[in-house]
Amino acid sequence: MAPSSSSSSAALRQLLAERFPSAGKQRGRRLATGLPNLDEATGGLPLGAITEVVCSGPSCGGHLLFSRLLALTREARGRVALIDSSDGFDPCSYPSDTLAHLLWVRARTLDDALQSTDLLSRDANLALILLDLRGNALRRIPATQWYRLQRAVEPSGLALLVETPHALVPSAQLRIELSRSHSLGSLGVEQGTLCGRLAPIVMRQRIQISPLTAR
Amino acid sequence: MPSAKDSSRPAFAVLRVPDFALHSLLRTRPLGRTGAFALLDGARRKAGITALSPAARSAGVDLGCPAPLAIARCPHLVMLVPDAASEAEASAALLSVAFTLSPAVEHTGPGVCTIDLAGRPVDQHAPALHDAIRRLEDLGLPATAGLAATPLLALYAARETASVKVVESPRTFLDRLPITAAEPAPELLPVLAGWGVRTLGDLTVLPKVEVARRLGPPGLELWERAVGETCRPIHRTYPKLTFSSSLDFEHEIETLEPLVFVLRRCLDRLAADLAVAGCSATDLNLELRLSDESSHRHHVRLPEPTGQSDTLFRTLLTHVESLHTTSPVIGFSLGLIPARTLVRQQGLFETGLRDPHRFAETLARTSTIVGADRTGTPRQDDTHRPDSITLELPAAVVPPPRPEPVCPPLGPPLRRFRPPHPAKVELARETPLYVWTDTVQGAVTATSGPWVGSGDWWRPDLAWQREEWDVTLEDGGLYRLMETSEGWFLEGVYD
Repeated sequence: MAPSSSSSSAALRQLLAERFPSAGKQRGRRLATGLPNLDEATGGLPLGAITEVVCSGPSCGGHLLFSRLLALTREARGRVALIDSSDGFDPCSYPSDTLAHLLWVRARTLDDALQSTDLLSRDANLALILLDLRGNALRRIPATQWYRLQRAVEPSGLALLVETPHALVPSAQLRIELSRSHSLGSLGVEQGTLCGRLAPIVMRQRIQISPLTAR
Repeated sequence: MPSAKDSSRPAFAVLRVPDFALHSLLRTRPLGRTGAFALLDGARRKAGITALSPAARSAGVDLGCPAPLAIARCPHLVMLVPDAASEAEASAALLSVAFTLSPAVEHTGPGVCTIDLAGRPVDQHAPALHDAIRRLEDLGLPATAGLAATPLLALYAARETASVKVVESPRTFLDRLPITAAEPAPELLPVLAGWGVRTLGDLTVLPKVEVARRLGPPGLELWERAVGETCRPIHRTYPKLTFSSSLDFEHEIETLEPLVFVLRRCLDRLAADLAVAGCSATDLNLELRLSDESSHRHHVRLPEPTGQSDTLFRTLLTHVESLHTTSPVIGFSLGLIPARTLVRQQGLFETGLRDPHRFAETLARTSTIVGADRTGTPRQDDTHRPDSITLELPAAVVPPPRPEPVCPPLGPPLRRFRPPHPAKVELARETPLYVWTDTVQGAVTATSGPWVGSGDWWRPDLAWQREEWDVTLEDGGLYRLMETSEGWFLEGVYD
C-alpha cells in the first residue's frame, strides 16, 4: 500500500530536520524595534535573516530607525556593527553612551562593504548588523551574494539590516519601505518622539509569524 | 597480587621516534609521508644514507649506500640533510608529550625519552601511552612506546613494537629478542655466534660468572643488559618556561603554504608546552627573516589569554595571509608570552563576548579589508569642532548603560557627505533660495539658521569658523548647508 501524503510529508519534515538541524531554529524569533507600526505588523526584525529597509526618499528616517535600534540593543548590551559603504554615519548625532557597543566599519568601496558584511555576519558575537548601501553608485550586485549572506546569518542568529535606495535584496525575508521625509520642524523634536512617527510600509514578509510572537 | 589501581609497582615507559632525524625534518616540510625520502649523514659528495622512508626501502635503497647509487635505484628519492634546529624542535615536541604522562621525564637520547610512571594508577598506563602516541602523530612524529618494570626493558619494548608494547612477563619477552637488541660490542658478536647465542634468552641461560670470566667486563655488562632487571634512576629533565621556536629553511620560501605548514607545527608544539606548564598565551611574536637580510616583525596582543593551538594559529594566519614581503623568507622565530590561565566566572548579567578570539579575528580581517584606522567603536572628541571623532578598539565587555541624558538629542541624525559636497547657493536677503551640487539641486522651500560656530581661534592652523543652515529642498529632503571661508558646502542630509 502506498504511504499517505501526510505520512510522507511528515517523514520528509523529519528527514530535513535531521539533515539541517539549525534550519528553522530561528524561525519566529524577532528583534523588537520599538516602533509600534512595525512590531504590530511583523513582530520585529527577523533574527537569522535579512531585512531590507528601502529608503526611497531623502530624509526618510533610515538613520533614525538605526538610532532606535542602537538604543534598544544598548539596553540589552548586545553588539552592533554598522557597515557604512558611503562613510556617512555621524556619531555626533547620537548620545555618546549609545555608541559604546557599536562597531563602525567605514568602507571605502561597495566591494569592501560587502566583504566586511560577509565576515561580520558569521560572527555570533554580534546581535545586529546594519549595511548602509545608500549614497553609492550601486552596480548590479549578483543575487548569489545576497543568498550567501542569508546563509551566513542563519546560523549566527543575528539580524542583518540592509538599507537601500530601492528594492535590491532578493533574499530579504522582510522588506519595509520608509518614504516620508522629515520636515524642518522635526529638528526641534526629540529623537524618541520622531521614531514613533516613522511609518514603515511592509512590502514583503516571507516568514510566517508564529502564534507566540504575533499579537 | 597487585590490583589494577596499584601505583606502588615500578613502571617505566619509553617513547621512541624511529628514524628521529628523518622524521624531525619531514614534520617541518609539507612533503607528505608516503614519498621516498633518505637522510644523508652529511652534505659531502660521498655521504652515506643513514635513514630511509618505507617507500625508499621498497624501491631498493639500502642504508649506508652512497647517494648516487641511491638515486640510480630510486629516481624520485628526496635527499635530506640533518638539521639541528629541526631535531631540537622535534625533541621539544616529544618532551612536551612525555610531560603529559608524568613530571619525571628523562631525555634519554635523540628521539627517545624515558618516563617514570610511579604514582599513576596501573590501569591508566597503557591508555595514556596510546594517547601519547596519538598526540605525537598529530605533531608529525610517528612514535612507539614500551611499558615495563625497568627503563631498559621499556626501551627494548619500544624498539620491538609498532605502537605500544606492555611487558607483562620479562623472561618470556627477553627470550625472543635477538642478541643485537642488547647492543653487544662488535668484537663479541663472532664469539657469541660461535657459541650459538642468537637471542637474549640464549645468553641469560648461561651462568653470569662463566660469561664474565670468558668475555670480561664487556661480556658481564652485556649479560646484565640482556637480563634487563637493572633499575637505574632516571636523569630528570624539566619543562621549559620559555615558549619560543626558531627555524631556518633549507630553501627560500616564496609561497604561503610551506610557511603556514611549519608555523602550524611549531604552534602545536608551543601550545602543548603551554598546556604542560598550565599557562595560556597573552601575546604572540612573529619574526620572519628575509633573504635580503631584513626582517618582518609582528606582535599580536590576544584578546583573551589562550592556550588553544587552533585559536593561536587562526590569529597568526590572519596576519600572514595578508602579508607581502619584499624578499623570500629564509627563517622565522615564533614566541608566546605566557600567563597563568584566566579562571573566572562571568557575572549573571555580564555580557562579554561569546567568543573573544573569533571577534578579534573578525576585526583583524575586517581591518585588512577597509584599513585598520577605519574600524572601531566611535568616540566623540572633547571639542565642539564638527565631525571630530576617534575610533577605538571595541571593549571586551559592553558596559552597563548610563541613565538617559537630561537633554536627549533633538532632530533626526545627520548622514554626512564626506567630504562635503561643494555647493552653489543663490541667496535672497542673505537666505538660501536655490542650491546646486553635483548630486542634489533644487529650490529651498524652508530654512532655519544661520547657526554660527567657531573654535580653536587661539591656534591659527586649527581655527575654524562656519555658518550652518538647515534647509528643506523641493525633493522633500532636509539638508544641512554650511558656509566657510572656502565657500558653500552641502554637509549632509538629516535622516
